[in-house]
Amino acid sequence: MSAAKQASGAAAPILRVSGLKKYFQSAHGKLHAVDDVSFDIAKGKTLGMVGESGCGKSTTGRLLVRLHEATAGSILYDGQEVTAASDRELKKLRTRMQMIFQDPYSSINPRHTVANIIGEPLKIHKKVKGAAEYEDRVRSLMATVGLADRLYDAYPHELDGGRRQRIGIARALALDPEFIVCDEPVSALDVSIQAQILNLLMDLQDKLGLTYLFITHDLSVVKHISDDIVIMYMGQIVERGPTEELFARPIHPYGQALLSAIPVPKLNARKERIILKSEVSSPIDPKPGCRFAPRCAYASPECAAADPALREVSPGRYVACRLAEQFV
Amino acid sequence: MSASATTTTAVAAGRGSNFARALRRSGRNFAQFWRQLSRNKLAVISLVIVVGFAGVAIFADLLYEYDFVTSNSLENALLKPGESGTVYYHDKDIEHTFILGSDNYGRDILGRLVHGARVSMIIGFAAVAISLCAGGILGSIAGYKGGLFDTLIMRATDILLSIPTILLAIAIVAALGNSFFNLLIAIASSMIPGYIRIVRASIIQVKDQEFVEAAHCIGAGDFRIVLRHILPNITSPIIVQSTLNVGSAINWAASLSFLGLGILPPKPEWGNMLSEAREFIQYAPHLLFAPGLTILITVLAYNLIGDGLRDALDPKLKR
Amino acid sequence: MENILEISDLRVHYFSNRKTVRAVNGLSMGMEAGKVLGLVGETGAGKTTLALSILNMVRAPQGKIVEGSIRFAGADVLAMGKRELRDMRGKDVAMIFQDPMTALNPVLTVGEQIAETVRKHEELSIEDAWKKAQAMLETVGIPADRAKEYPHQFSGGMKQRVVIALALACNPKLLLADEPTTALDVTIQAQVLDLMRKLIRENGTSVLFITHSLGLVAENCDEVATMYSGEIVEYGTVDQVFGKALHPYTQGLFGSLPDLSAATDRLKPIPGLMPDPTALPKGCFFCPRCPHAMDICAKEHPADVDLGGHRVKCHLYAAAGAAKGAASAAGRRAE
Ligand SMILES: Nc1ncnc2c1ncn2[C@@H]1O[C@H](COP(=O)(O)OP(=O)(O)OP(=O)(O)O)[C@@H](O)[C@H]1O
Ligand SMILES: Nc1ncnc2c1ncn2[C@@H]1O[C@H](COP(=O)(O)OP(=O)(O)OP(=O)(O)O)[C@@H](O)[C@H]1O
Ligand SMILES: [Mg+2]
Ligand SMILES: [Mg+2]
Repeated sequence: MSAAKQASGAAAPILRVSGLKKYFQSAHGKLHAVDDVSFDIAKGKTLGMVGESGCGKSTTGRLLVRLHEATAGSILYDGQEVTAASDRELKKLRTRMQMIFQDPYSSINPRHTVANIIGEPLKIHKKVKGAAEYEDRVRSLMATVGLADRLYDAYPHELDGGRRQRIGIARALALDPEFIVCDEPVSALDVSIQAQILNLLMDLQDKLGLTYLFITHDLSVVKHISDDIVIMYMGQIVERGPTEELFARPIHPYGQALLSAIPVPKLNARKERIILKSEVSSPIDPKPGCRFAPRCAYASPECAAADPALREVSPGRYVACRLAEQFV
Repeated sequence: MSASATTTTAVAAGRGSNFARALRRSGRNFAQFWRQLSRNKLAVISLVIVVGFAGVAIFADLLYEYDFVTSNSLENALLKPGESGTVYYHDKDIEHTFILGSDNYGRDILGRLVHGARVSMIIGFAAVAISLCAGGILGSIAGYKGGLFDTLIMRATDILLSIPTILLAIAIVAALGNSFFNLLIAIASSMIPGYIRIVRASIIQVKDQEFVEAAHCIGAGDFRIVLRHILPNITSPIIVQSTLNVGSAINWAASLSFLGLGILPPKPEWGNMLSEAREFIQYAPHLLFAPGLTILITVLAYNLIGDGLRDALDPKLKR
Repeated sequence: MENILEISDLRVHYFSNRKTVRAVNGLSMGMEAGKVLGLVGETGAGKTTLALSILNMVRAPQGKIVEGSIRFAGADVLAMGKRELRDMRGKDVAMIFQDPMTALNPVLTVGEQIAETVRKHEELSIEDAWKKAQAMLETVGIPADRAKEYPHQFSGGMKQRVVIALALACNPKLLLADEPTTALDVTIQAQVLDLMRKLIRENGTSVLFITHSLGLVAENCDEVATMYSGEIVEYGTVDQVFGKALHPYTQGLFGSLPDLSAATDRLKPIPGLMPDPTALPKGCFFCPRCPHAMDICAKEHPADVDLGGHRVKCHLYAAAGAAKGAASAAGRRAE
């Protein structure tokens, strides 16, 4: 076992997700939030996850740290099955896997002070001895994420969005995790602090060998921080590949549209934007066939016939499109 | 030996300073809380009133002897406030001023109010405390766990709610026997369904918020999540309900006494004083006013304290 | 053109724990009808506070507008009574909140909430309002059959879209959009912004567009204001500011962006932190972090320098401004 592990070397994935599904029961039927998703992340690497809002990115992230119970599929973290972990194993796992939440407003308890929020994981897992060490640790965590010392006893509502988000980051870092699901950790921040936080996350990665799943809408950020990228559409992965290549040459029609819509902070930089037909299809009991087809400029009746599988169309590039070869 | 001794002292010192720190912090928190509360003048006045009544209840025996307020002296019946008369008490005639007058048995009304405070204050407070604990726990389970627990608890609540409160109380007292404690249980259990509903509804509102998920994520157990994360966010409806309930508990005690199921005369209680006084409303309205106003003031004071507490506990209103 | 919004010398303070947070410090600005003003700036610069002030909704009891005046369509907002304010909010001025959950009721379905808002402002039957609500949801890219769901069943971006639909449902004159698209992916973002532009064209709505994304400002706004520590430090048309940013802070913002076209190892954030708003420095607020700081910067608070409509609060341009200012003052006198 251990020999095999060693043999596979540094590239061995620390996280291996296969066939992951999450269906929510809704008034009209089953909502396929995550529908058969597979990927893996190597230790010390960052996987960027992008896609339309509501396509199941946060749900995937939550499944990984088991805030939702998966409908089907397996999540292997460092050889341990997360979906089957007992309560005790789960508590232990949570010192190794953490999550930074999307919404800096609702993700922190309005009744607790900044120090209480950041220090709570330390108390739960008894990571510190005594109040003095606790206070020092909390203050150093606050310094790490750039929160001023005077905010120790402040309440969240006194803070702006950016500082709140840093509380969330400090809370996630408190237990020295190895793997962090970052659910849009910087979208509430201004570009300068965004740069600080991204630098911070990358420094922590270099120093501690952290692994990230980085969910975001900001494509320039995802390009900057990730090694690999997956693009999701309505609960499924439609494209996966190394960052540089994917940005240079997106293959899936949705990927192409997505990358063409990036706003550029320069005058008259307007490139040719691919306008998608805004015909929305519902994720509730979706019909078989490519889910992007109703909005796709290249769609033909055959596209609606069967689910396209994610397949390797050129080395390292995986695409779920019947016509992928055409776009390579 | 000495090495270990020094470590122990060091540890002790460390612990001492930790303790001191914790003490200082909670002291500071309390000071802040108090500053918040004291901004609300009405709440402070109400607190003084309630504490005053509680003090009166505790020291009732020093103010008036129990036997004195329960023994009849018919020659002094229905005296107006401030009149005095001669009371034959402990084989002696004593001259006594009835500050708030006397009732139809010639008993001192103020004295009866003072002793009645014991029963009324305890019932108001204890009934709410008991029902809050029971209803809070059941409501939390129903709201937080959901599923089968929710269904079972809520259907049981519906059944309880469909029985008229007075019948329920009568049934409980009749089944358990007529005693102060059983009266308490009867009143408390009639208030439990209200708490269950309020707590459950509020919890359902809060539990889907991301900060609760965040708490799961850092490994907090269910107990901690409910206690530290959810309950502090739903205090306002609970406090409002509780302050209202203190009033109704006192009223319930009065009604049950009136039906002969609660505190029976001659033992004084505000409610039974009130109901006894009804007959004399035309000749001696002061008989009605004294307990009526006392109940009114107490209930009002509790409500105002509730408002003050709710605001003082909300960090958004802190300044 | 008459300014629809006129703010002068606004000061907003928060009082907490016996300290005073100076969130907005002597801010003046005007907004022309039918224009989109992009407002960018550091987190905590007071952007949300500014937007709340316009609705006279700064959170009491801690927050207080201590000085200044705000005029919306000629009426003094700070002198309005409760009724007038309520009429103004939602109907004339709508706000898209940064935090979608503050605008959504967790126990009502999203469709009900939109329909209710619509009915408040238009005479419609319940069914028609419901139909309109569904149509609004479709325009922000949410399938109509999800109107019967509750906010917590929606993803972050979908909640945000519901809030946008709520704000747009009543065709306001002024839209205060506080980071409306941060939670949206770029394709939906483009869709929502198209919708917003359509609204502007049709109704002449003015928009105060608060965002962190300079890209969106470049593509959607007519004018830009940069805010720092409760002041507007730079103000100009998009062409002026994106053509040549003058204030060192704005320059720093541009400098810290990750570049899409080139691979960068490390981003270059502006060094240091925002000054403590409870103890602002005496001179220029940006001085401690400024790469071009001079002696005077620490001593004297800079005044606005007007360089042909491009205004900047910085000592670096004092000389240039004086020359221009003298010229334009002479010009004004000649009129
Ligand atoms: N608790 C829930 N109950 C029912 N449906 C849910 C729940 N949570 C999420 N969903 C649905 O699952 C789908 C995916 O949601 P998710 O939050 O994962 O999207 P997302 O990709 O993170 O979007 P965004 O970028 O807007 O945050 C959405 O259609 C959402 O409405
Ligand atoms: N209720 C409050 N009590 C005390 N301070 C407050 C309160 N609300 C806001 N502040 C402070 O006022 C300042 C301005 O906050 P504001 O929310 O306007 O910032 P912002 O520019 O909108 O930031 P972001 O981009 O992060 O949302 C911040 O320093 C904040 O901490
Ligand atoms: Mg999400
Ligand atoms: Mg803000």
